[in-house]
Amino acid sequence: MSEHAASTNLETRKPVPTVGFTNPFSRWRKSIGGWVLNAWVGIVIIVIYLPVVIVVGASVDPGTYIESRAFLTFPPRGFSLQWYLSIHPRLWHSLWVSVSMASVSAFFGLLIGVPAALGLIRCNWRGKILMGSLFRAPLQIPFIVIGVAFLQAYHLSADVFHINLVGSFTGLVLGHVFVAVPYVISAVGVQVQRFNPSMEEAALIHGATRMRTFMRVTLPIIMPGIYAGGLYAFLISFGDVTISLFLAGPDTTPFPVQVLHTITQDFDPTVPAMSALVCIGSLFVLLLVQKLVGLDILLRGGGSG
Amino acid sequence: MRANWGLVLLPPLVLSMILLFGPQIMFLRASFFEDLGIGRLGPDITFVNYILAFTDSFYYESLILNFQLSASVTLLSLFVAFPVAYRIARMTSRWAMIVLAAIIVSAFLSVAIKILGMMILFAANGVLNSFLLWTGIITDTIGIIGTIPGIIFGLVHLSISFKVLMLFSVIQTVPRSLEEAAEIHGAKRWRVYWRVVIPLSLPGIISVSLLSFNLVMGAFVSALVLGGGKIFTLPVLIQQSLMLFSEFGMSAALSALLMLFVFTINIISVILVTRVHAARLAVT
Repeated sequence: MSEHAASTNLETRKPVPTVGFTNPFSRWRKSIGGWVLNAWVGIVIIVIYLPVVIVVGASVDPGTYIESRAFLTFPPRGFSLQWYLSIHPRLWHSLWVSVSMASVSAFFGLLIGVPAALGLIRCNWRGKILMGSLFRAPLQIPFIVIGVAFLQAYHLSADVFHINLVGSFTGLVLGHVFVAVPYVISAVGVQVQRFNPSMEEAALIHGATRMRTFMRVTLPIIMPGIYAGGLYAFLISFGDVTISLFLAGPDTTPFPVQVLHTITQDFDPTVPAMSALVCIGSLFVLLLVQKLVGLDILLRGGGSG
Repeated sequence: MRANWGLVLLPPLVLSMILLFGPQIMFLRASFFEDLGIGRLGPDITFVNYILAFTDSFYYESLILNFQLSASVTLLSLFVAFPVAYRIARMTSRWAMIVLAAIIVSAFLSVAIKILGMMILFAANGVLNSFLLWTGIITDTIGIIGTIPGIIFGLVHLSISFKVLMLFSVIQTVPRSLEEAAEIHGAKRWRVYWRVVIPLSLPGIISVSLLSFNLVMGAFVSALVLGGGKIFTLPVLIQQSLMLFSEFGMSAALSALLMLFVFTINIISVILVTRVHAARLAVT
């Protein structure tokens, strides 16, 4: 909106008559302050990536043996792919748990979140604002409290209803769906708010059924929001440690929880190798997103909701 | 046609409310029962857990520590992230997309992997110590794991990427033409920041800070790992009382306190923000 206004201003603006006038903004960009700002951006990005670089570097270290146990150092003192070749099956299993958990959570998050976003913005119920904040409530609850609450609820449901969700895959997914829904709602909501309901009305007037209108008009328009919301839900669930730590069982341990175990309990030298593979995998997924729909969909309202 | 949307809203509303209120009510209920050990709860409703949380300095000091950590991390990461977000928002070259992509990717790499890297970085024979010894700044290894600065570094590090992304969307809503206008009228750079950029993005800055404050209050992995078992923030205490000692009542009471605390801070700041807004409207 404001961008549009600015561009029309530019078109109507007459050339500035002053001789030798330069845009102060571009002058500033070449000034000392501008370079300090650029340097700051560079430093921050280097520091952000430092831990990941260290993990990848340490993963190719041949390892130092202390009392027949291997330890890794950074910078690596050699190059060896031995840890990549001997990744523990438990780690592969945990990666599978993570990927399937994140996909299923994202799917159900969308299943709940998309109609919720459409309904919240379109319906004319009283108390819409209250409902909106109830939907957004999971964002206000610290992750650790979500973990505690769901675990206690599962224990109780095992005692009372004999439905045992403690340590089960379903239990894990339920906790993550809970967190995913508000992200999906805010990502889809941005798209719903943008589009003009008269487009749907036009389709209906021209004789399209409601189903057809939804499939051919509404859905394509809100699709970027669905991609963004689903991706958000997937990535949050995939990276989460806190909720998973409470809800996971021995057979349903997601990869990040395995990493936590290797840090706090028993160091496994193949974990950095696996972590490096996961980083590369995440990079490919995000590159794919960039190619298909553009990474900037992740900026649309997802996190700020 | 209108009424249909209410029907569309109903199923997700019911499901979400079950997920929201079911576990919350059950754990709040558990917080009013005494722990009898190995996961069993006493038969009567008592306030014993809450009384203990408020009288035992171990518990309330951890809440204070938690608050201090979250507040300082929120402020520090704001100072680190704001210039980065501002610079990216004002970039015109293709670098903007590259830098932004780098930040997005880093935001979505798992916390656990970053913490693993930090542990290798900070370890007694790790990268940082070797580097500092080599430069001669220190003569003996320094322990960073298990100290407050270590935890603060970790938490700031983990919140920066998201904060840059969120602040980026905020700063984008401030038209560049306003800055140019101020400059053309002779304002110095710092004055443009202070009087144009920051005031216009203040509501966004506050909501971003609140969100990150909430996240840090509940941050548990970095506090546990970088705290090295020496620093007990409330989330660490909650996890230990539940997972190590199966104290369902006590862990529930501590969680309830943490949640209540976060809610209170959020409500206070919302009130403050609306006051500031109202005051500014009254002045202009």
